[in-house]
Amino acid sequence: MGLEKFDPTLVSHDLVQDLKWDPELRARFERDEASVLDLYDLLPEERAAIEARDFRALYDLGFHPYLGGQLTRLIYGNDAGDKANFAVGKLVASLQGKT
Amino acid sequence: MAEIVFAAGAPHAPGLIGLLGDAGGETQSVVRDTYAALSREIRAARPDVMIVFANDHIANSRVRAYPDFLIGMAAEHRGPHEWFKPWIGCRDYAAKGCPETAAALFRGMNRRGVRMFAQRENLNFDDNISVPVVITDLDRTDIRLVPVLQNCIVPPFPDQRRCYEVGQALAGIIADELPAGLRVGLLGSGGLSHEPGGARYWFIDEEFDAWFLDLCAAGDHARLLDEVTVERMEASGSGGTVELLAWFVVLGAIGECPGHGFGYTAHANFKCGVGAVNWPMAAGRQAPAQTPERTPEQTPEQTPAQASGQEVA
Repeated sequence: MGLEKFDPTLVSHDLVQDLKWDPELRARFERDEASVLDLYDLLPEERAAIEARDFRALYDLGFHPYLGGQLTRLIYGNDAGDKANFAVGKLVASLQGKT
Repeated sequence: MAEIVFAAGAPHAPGLIGLLGDAGGETQSVVRDTYAALSREIRAARPDVMIVFANDHIANSRVRAYPDFLIGMAAEHRGPHEWFKPWIGCRDYAAKGCPETAAALFRGMNRRGVRMFAQRENLNFDDNISVPVVITDLDRTDIRLVPVLQNCIVPPFPDQRRCYEVGQALAGIIADELPAGLRVGLLGSGGLSHEPGGARYWFIDEEFDAWFLDLCAAGDHARLLDEVTVERMEASGSGGTVELLAWFVVLGAIGECPGHGFGYTAHANFKCGVGAVNWPMAAGRQAPAQTPERTPEQTPEQTPAQASGQEVA
């Protein structure tokens, strides 16, 4: 699972970029994720994949894997140690179909 | 005529700082020894300016409008960007920039047909620039920094041959357009094998890393260009190993010459193989690098990138 499915038009790329660049949006995402998702013109299946933490489905739609790693850290935690490793574990489990 | 006085390639995995304390003793030794040696080599070479090519981890641009090369023209480069601080676990820094060198680089590349972009404002730096700056304390020297953030992961991106050509253009700029006597250091920041965000996130291809480091140390550019293809790097870790394209820019700039490594470690929690190569520039490099022998399937009219079938910048 590499870059072959990458679709640069997928709107969720913008979501992740904005969450990285805007601390206020990030805080709102942590408090009320749905209200942030409402701001973006996501495909129904794109939004469903994010809400279900189904990263494999999101990748199949064309989501860039590097931003996938960042999305999981935005959801599960961004610290150098345990939180980031927990995020990696969640991502890998989804991509390998183990969730 | 300026001269190249330092050239190296080295990884920038965030764990090298934030997770180093949790690593085993042997891994810690390799990391500390490698970057201590690079720090000594940098200081011994006394560069006035350090040009660092490094993968932009999609931290500065939308994927819909993504530059292949983005030069930092700021007078001061500050980092890490706020969101990456806990992830990298490194101190803040403010490295002196060199707007004049950045401008000459931008101007020279565009005149040579290499499309680059440049930004006067501070760029968003994550581990790509932050790790090499902090781990070598570059910001605590008088060496000025010119970061060039490179597209290694948003398809289509320049392949190894195109990056090598960019390095050759860089050599021409250093020789012909930077001020006489200016001492230039070059660092390719990125790699070794890793797959950030992929299903093999924990995978490190030790066999690939050893092979690549040996080719770099041997200075065998023809084999590097023929064999270390994007496809080969992707097989050893998708979306991460291709950061070695930054090393190809340096290789193109210095031409064929031997180098030396400092050991290697594959610590799972780094999620990245770690090893560096320094190519000593004994008397300084002043002339543009020679092009290695063409592969048989490449016609004289083709650029190497065209011959390889890759879409390039």
